[in-house]
Amino acid sequence: MKQVQVHPERCLGCMQCMLACATAHSRTKSLFTAVGESPLPKPRLHVGAGSHDEGFPNRCRHCDPAPCLLACLPGAIFRDPDTGTVLVDPDLCINCASCAMACPFGVLRYHQDWVAPAAKIVAQKCDNCLERQHEGLIPACVEVCKTGALTFEESDEALRRKTREVARSVSMGMEEQPLIPTGVQLLRQAKKQRFEMRCR
Amino acid sequence: MEYVIIGNGIAGTSAAEAIRRLDRQGAITMIADEDEIPYCRPMISNLLAGDIAAERLAIRPSSFYDDLNIKPVLGRRVQSIDPAAGKVRVGDSDLIVPFDRLLIASGADPRISEVPGSQLPGVFCLRNRSQALDIMAAAEHGRKAVVVGGGLVGLKAAHALQSRGLQVVMLIRSAHPLRLQVDASAGRMILAKLREHGLQVLVEAEVAAFEGSGKVLENIVLADGQKIPADLAVIAKGVAPAAGFAADGPIGLGPGGGIVVNNTLETTVPGIYAAGDVAETMDVARREKRVNAIWPEAVEQGIAAGFNMAGRRVAYRGSLSRNVMRIYGLDIMTAGVVEPPAADDSYEVVAVTDKHRDIYHKLVFRDDRLVGMMLINGIEQGGVLLSLIRREVAIVEKKERLLEPGFQVGKLMPQYFK
Amino acid sequence: MKTKAEERTITKDGQLLLKKMEQDQVETVWDRLEAQSPQCGYCEMGLSCRVCAMGPCRIDPFGEGPQRGVCGADADIIVARNLGRMIAAGAAAHSDHGRDLVEVLAEVAAGKAPEYSITDEEKLRRIAREYGVETEGREVLEIAGELAAAMQEEFGTRKGFLTMANRAPAKRREIWQKVGIAPRGVDRETSEMMHRTHMGVDNGWQSLLLHGLRNALSDGWGGSMIATEVSDILFGTPAPTPNMVNIGVLKEDEVNIVVHGHNPVVSEMIMRACESAEMVELARKKGAKGINLTGLCCTGNELLMRHGIPMAGNHLMTELVIGTGAVEMMIVDYQCIMPSLGALAPCYHTRMISTSDKARFPGMEHREFHPDNAAELARTLVREAIENFDQRGETYIPVEAVPSVGGFSVEAIIGALGGTPQPLIDAITAGKIRGAVGVVGCNNPKIKHDYGHVTLTKRLIENDCLVVDTGCAAIANAKAGFKVAEAIKYAGPGLQEVCGALGIPPVLHMGSCVDNVRILVLAAALANALQVDISDLPLAGAAPEWYSEKAVSIGSYFVASGVYTVLGPMPPITGSMNVVNLLTSGLNDVIGASFAVEADPEKAAVLIRRHIEAKRKALGLSALDI
Repeated sequence: MKQVQVHPERCLGCMQCMLACATAHSRTKSLFTAVGESPLPKPRLHVGAGSHDEGFPNRCRHCDPAPCLLACLPGAIFRDPDTGTVLVDPDLCINCASCAMACPFGVLRYHQDWVAPAAKIVAQKCDNCLERQHEGLIPACVEVCKTGALTFEESDEALRRKTREVARSVSMGMEEQPLIPTGVQLLRQAKKQRFEMRCR
Repeated sequence: MEYVIIGNGIAGTSAAEAIRRLDRQGAITMIADEDEIPYCRPMISNLLAGDIAAERLAIRPSSFYDDLNIKPVLGRRVQSIDPAAGKVRVGDSDLIVPFDRLLIASGADPRISEVPGSQLPGVFCLRNRSQALDIMAAAEHGRKAVVVGGGLVGLKAAHALQSRGLQVVMLIRSAHPLRLQVDASAGRMILAKLREHGLQVLVEAEVAAFEGSGKVLENIVLADGQKIPADLAVIAKGVAPAAGFAADGPIGLGPGGGIVVNNTLETTVPGIYAAGDVAETMDVARREKRVNAIWPEAVEQGIAAGFNMAGRRVAYRGSLSRNVMRIYGLDIMTAGVVEPPAADDSYEVVAVTDKHRDIYHKLVFRDDRLVGMMLINGIEQGGVLLSLIRREVAIVEKKERLLEPGFQVGKLMPQYFK
Repeated sequence: MKTKAEERTITKDGQLLLKKMEQDQVETVWDRLEAQSPQCGYCEMGLSCRVCAMGPCRIDPFGEGPQRGVCGADADIIVARNLGRMIAAGAAAHSDHGRDLVEVLAEVAAGKAPEYSITDEEKLRRIAREYGVETEGREVLEIAGELAAAMQEEFGTRKGFLTMANRAPAKRREIWQKVGIAPRGVDRETSEMMHRTHMGVDNGWQSLLLHGLRNALSDGWGGSMIATEVSDILFGTPAPTPNMVNIGVLKEDEVNIVVHGHNPVVSEMIMRACESAEMVELARKKGAKGINLTGLCCTGNELLMRHGIPMAGNHLMTELVIGTGAVEMMIVDYQCIMPSLGALAPCYHTRMISTSDKARFPGMEHREFHPDNAAELARTLVREAIENFDQRGETYIPVEAVPSVGGFSVEAIIGALGGTPQPLIDAITAGKIRGAVGVVGCNNPKIKHDYGHVTLTKRLIENDCLVVDTGCAAIANAKAGFKVAEAIKYAGPGLQEVCGALGIPPVLHMGSCVDNVRILVLAAALANALQVDISDLPLAGAAPEWYSEKAVSIGSYFVASGVYTVLGPMPPITGSMNVVNLLTSGLNDVIGASFAVEADPEKAAVLIRRHIEAKRKALGLSALDI
């Protein structure tokens, strides 16, 4: 089964995925109109800064077993048996934040949502864009990620691809293809250096 | 194999389910005081507040006992245990239940007020579903309520009663609410917030008596003579492990009054296990035995105890006190050691305040390990911090960085994922 | 472990005020940088393009996603276009500043700016002659009028080659002609850059970059040079003057007025109003001991250079200055004024005044300056500042000011050398001074405040490299105590000997950021004296903490003029290794100089010294192995 795979080493921190996610979870599904909606749609994945201010896409891992699901008091968090997606039922959620306390990745947020009962604050998290998948679309964050930091594929395929890349980067006779392109490396070195200099 | 489980709370329920995953044949008997389908105890305050219907409390189907082929013995308390004979005596009757493996998951009982009048009708505890329903009934006709105690249950009860339209006075013995969870400065923030929301809070108040004419509560009398009129009162002075039946036997009790268990949840008596609010486990932050009477620990301990009882060795890595509440416009998440002993210099405290976002965050480190946290508002990353405590991750980052506004799990690469 | 404040700045005043502002819970530029993190990698690499409405587009540097924008532009084109537009913006900022000064000169000539005047008549005549204006036996204002008109023509398209670019050595001008980057008009090159980077015009990344150099030259030998020279004509050519620097220049018992921005047209008038007996008397009546005018950033540098007005701090200090609670009024003109200031000032009692019709800020009172109302408006503002004195709450001025000497215009340096550059050339030839380095540019919160400037400067002078500095770098070095005669103790033996004999500091303050052209003029003078090209000299430039588009233009005109230039922060070019390679090495073959990028000032010092020794060797001078 295809799943969203995260490759943080490829994240440039552009936050396009956040915009796309919020838009995909809006009522109107268009960025230009979504920003005028009330409640304002919000992203369910968050691009944070890594230890040297490089981008880090923080997305729900849909863990199994899922600590949030185990911790949920009203039983609002459940797993979709077909896709393994961990979902929140906004009608059952009591906004107690037990899931935030349980989640070791810090992906839960609490706010109103147009599909939840009006004015009710509920736990929000990534739903793997199941609605879009039903329409034959891939998750919105993957669709807009141009660097391959988010991909939608079988996990063993992702692993195979990564193995190939590593192998190619060290193989004789192949055109030299560094895993991380030189320009990106230059930028990351500059950021790391900045960080080290701050600590001097 | 004969399994006996004392208690049908979440620890007992989780244990029964774990046993059944490994052993479909063994007989399971569940002996419990509450004649209920397993329900979500932390949500009784939501029930009291009118946020949810009574049916929503249940966390298992009504066919739970049948589905798992459990023999329920409900509405009865255990009188005594005879470990040598492998027998449990139920109530004052002569019902004797034999066991090969016993789980004590009898939970905890609310601490009762000893002051005169505490038996008056209108004076309640809030520990179980039926008590919540009783309070709701009393609140139908009442206008004024008093909550005795400023802990988690006290706050939730006060909030719930206010939601029902009652005027509520909260009496706290210490100088601020949540004395066990937060430090004094957070306590002052919380106190101010409660008062802002119309809750009348009297601090350093000692109850001397509950006063009533005939069979109706009328006043709460304080030690200083002050009288507070009330139609109902909720006593929320914490809970104590329900381990009375083990007091005189060979099963070892800890200083907290709980039943001491090892890392397989087994008590000092082989074959007898304990889990949940009655069990005294190793606290990973404090590195000492402690009763951490909280829901998520009861779930984990129940599962681990069940597996061990059914023969799969599962190590339980220890418990951690932790709580979260979103109440009175405040988000409060705490865990582990919030106020380290002042004399011990192996602790280090890092804190930030942000008045614009109404934030007060505090982390407590022992050497390079995070051992405690207190987050007032801005709790989204609390789970990450909490997992650092539970997994005892060595912090190589500058400690302050964990409290910076942009902190999230990506800042911890790669040691977090080791 | 460093505290947060220590990670953010090396300056004591900065650290203490940062702590205070943290306690006051007032947000600063560093907090906002943190909130912006991570910054967009496409933009950091120059790979995003917002030029047209078929876009916006971005190129995937990992090679899987799109490799061309909607129009078909690849990474090379997009990076070059973005860099070109940065240069254009920087050149435009400097040159528009220059235009404003020329307009004042024209109005002085026309008698429409009664309180401005020609202060340096000798310089007026000298530059008029450069422009072919007849000066013999003519009235000053007449000459001024004609010079102003001639300079205004430089901005347009009628010239073909900028007059002051003739100051460059002949070899340099030949290179410009050969490569096709001789600057033809100040506005023309900027305008052409905007044209070339429009969709469907110049899609040769090399030709775009070369035009970028020409655009930068139109700033360095055009707009900025006009700004500096006209400022000198109107307000006086700087001569060495002692002054005090850092936040300790604010006074507890006086009315503190701070000027911030770039153009001396406003700050000079404020200064005169502050000095008037009437205002000083009014301040005394209000219970203050006097009026204390201090500067920030480059308008501060303009006043410091010419009048020894104290300097409160550089770019990253502009918010912290207000945090002292001791500033009655801050008067700003334009460039580098953070729009956060207007929102910050109400946390204290400071009144914020904007003065330029082209620079408005939220939360500031707009009081527009024009040559005809400037003196009167300045008096009104100073009066209002005095009246604000009793609104002061608690103040926090935690450090003592540090002495420094400024005012090293080219004229002053040549003067100090005895009227000819020869003694400097001799010292370089003898190896006592290995070479000279311009340490210039801004502050950038990505680099620990002043760390880049001060560390690099320290390493250079202790290795016998003379440092000349401008802008925020110059303020950093002044605060570090490098700008008094006794600072030769930080210098290597050779530099110590030469500076000691001349009685000058080892680090010479040459002015504001437009005054980087003074460095060009000095370099040209040295090259002309030796009859070589600038690129032959043991010189280098560095912008260790740059942030602004102006700095991109400055760096580019340094390189295009033949000066090896080391940038601290990485410019947004790493999306195209072709562009990176051309700028950091390929340009050597084209124009005899190139860029380097090195954020660590310790390493940058090594790069620069290595370059200087290589140039020495090529000139047949003694050279060290670095």
